[in-house]
Amino acid sequence: MKKSTVSELEQAALEIRKNLLHLCLVEAIHIGGDLSVADIMTVLWQYQMKYDPENPNDEDRDRFVLSKGHASAVTSFNQAAIGCFSPEDVIKEYAADKGRFSMHSCSLVNPFVEVSTGSLGHGFPIACGMAAALKLKGNTASRVYVVMGDGEQAEGSVWEAAMNAVHQELGNLVAIIDFNGLEADGRIDEITALGNIAEKYGSFGWNVCEFDGNDIAEIKRQFDSLPAVASKVPTVFVCHTVKGMGVPFMENQAGWHAGKITKEQFETAINALEHTVGNGD
Amino acid sequence: MIELGKKDGKVVVVNADLMGTCRNRTFVQEFPERSFNVGIAEQNMVSFAAGLAQEGYKAYAFSMAPFISMRACEQCRTDVAYGNRNVRLIATYSGVSGGISGATHWGMEDCAIMGSMPNMVVMEPSDPIQARQMLDESLKHDGPIYIRSSVEPVPSIYGEDYRFEIGKASIARDGGDGAFICSGITVKHALGAVERIYHETGKNIRVVDMHTIKPLDRKAVKEAAGTGCVVVAQDHNKMGGLGYAVAEVIAEERMAVKFANVGIDDRFVPMAHAPFLYHEFGYDEEGLYNRMMSLLGM
Repeated sequence: MKKSTVSELEQAALEIRKNLLHLCLVEAIHIGGDLSVADIMTVLWQYQMKYDPENPNDEDRDRFVLSKGHASAVTSFNQAAIGCFSPEDVIKEYAADKGRFSMHSCSLVNPFVEVSTGSLGHGFPIACGMAAALKLKGNTASRVYVVMGDGEQAEGSVWEAAMNAVHQELGNLVAIIDFNGLEADGRIDEITALGNIAEKYGSFGWNVCEFDGNDIAEIKRQFDSLPAVASKVPTVFVCHTVKGMGVPFMENQAGWHAGKITKEQFETAINALEHTVGNGD
Repeated sequence: MIELGKKDGKVVVVNADLMGTCRNRTFVQEFPERSFNVGIAEQNMVSFAAGLAQEGYKAYAFSMAPFISMRACEQCRTDVAYGNRNVRLIATYSGVSGGISGATHWGMEDCAIMGSMPNMVVMEPSDPIQARQMLDESLKHDGPIYIRSSVEPVPSIYGEDYRFEIGKASIARDGGDGAFICSGITVKHALGAVERIYHETGKNIRVVDMHTIKPLDRKAVKEAAGTGCVVVAQDHNKMGGLGYAVAEVIAEERMAVKFANVGIDDRFVPMAHAPFLYHEFGYDEEGLYNRMMSLLGM
């Protein structure tokens, strides 16, 4: 079901986080990055995107590519929230042999996945090709949304695409960077620092919007202010987020890049989450 | 390519700064709106082409064999083959045809690499008419295709009555006393060798043009092996090329034949002109003649 208000979306994001924790109780998932991007994904899937689960091949739909393919769980739960399947399906079939959901998104078994991803630096250039194709077809109804990680920005193919997207005038493309500051090996600043990533995209000619990617109201505002689909400049959202957002013992902990939680950790996490939203934060 | 573009409005071309070398500049001039040039960025070229194919286009992406099969290897495998997308990867500079450009520009391993990707069809034309029909057939095929070709235009072998079919070998010359199984430039070399053998010994050697390396025409291999004597020749590393594929069929079919696999030796050599290298590795006309004669015990 689509949401329209900030409070509905905040509630929806809470549900997504609870589902993630339920899943994390039974399977190891990329929980840290799922939680950091959960607010963005909730607004994107449950508010912004034009997408009919009954007709996932509709030409006028918005396209979604998960370039940070390991955030498959948060994507699947959001797709469940709009009726592609149920959250219980995701929990039951996640990492199950012959299941539809796993560590990375796979279009062979899940018709709601446009592009199978997992290896980083692939989804973004594919999304550019899709955006160019939509322009060539004369489709001015659809946008292409692509979600990347911050660690992913180290892939050379990201910059090949970033340069060419501007040249191709892909105004129908929205790239979203989940800038949580941590990657698998630790703090991004201690591995290969991104520097001023917004300035880098800006110097390439992108329309850059930099904001708090865990603030639902702000995320909604940014989506509401996107330039027209027919504009000639691609947009990038540099979203500052907190890895593990909403679960205090996971926040800003690189160790929670991926993993499973105990029953006790689950209870602690759920309590903390409900407390946060109860405070209207 | 212009004919293809006229026949099918879904045909698009993606270049990585080599439209001149890859001979598709005329398509770009004829259909500028259906042409993309991503610059010297082969990984982006292949992923971008996958994105175009995802939206229903038939994307023809052009570069040199090593840059497609190695620089953009993972993009070919994950973005094109995994998604079973209609991307046609058209490679020039296959084998050592890049000659004096040296090993950086030689596609010595492309069949082995591309052939091991599920869904990927691997082809290599030996003749201009065959190449044209190969491209025509690529319009109808559903799934990814890799076509490798040499730097120099291929010589003329077939007439206008030639009919090409993906996965069905062409018999460039019939004969029952032995068989060459070749692809690309080596077909012409084998035809020259066979002519000489016939004049000198009266023996009729078959030349099987295995233009589709994957999926391999097993029936044509079995029939060739039925002659008792098979020489496989390809401008590719002997390891992982056409010779390995043919040998596998012969072994699985438990056929006892005299067999030789001729191709690029498994070593790097300094840059030199292609004909010199073909001779050095033994798959120019003379090398193939010598190999077949020795297998025939003559």
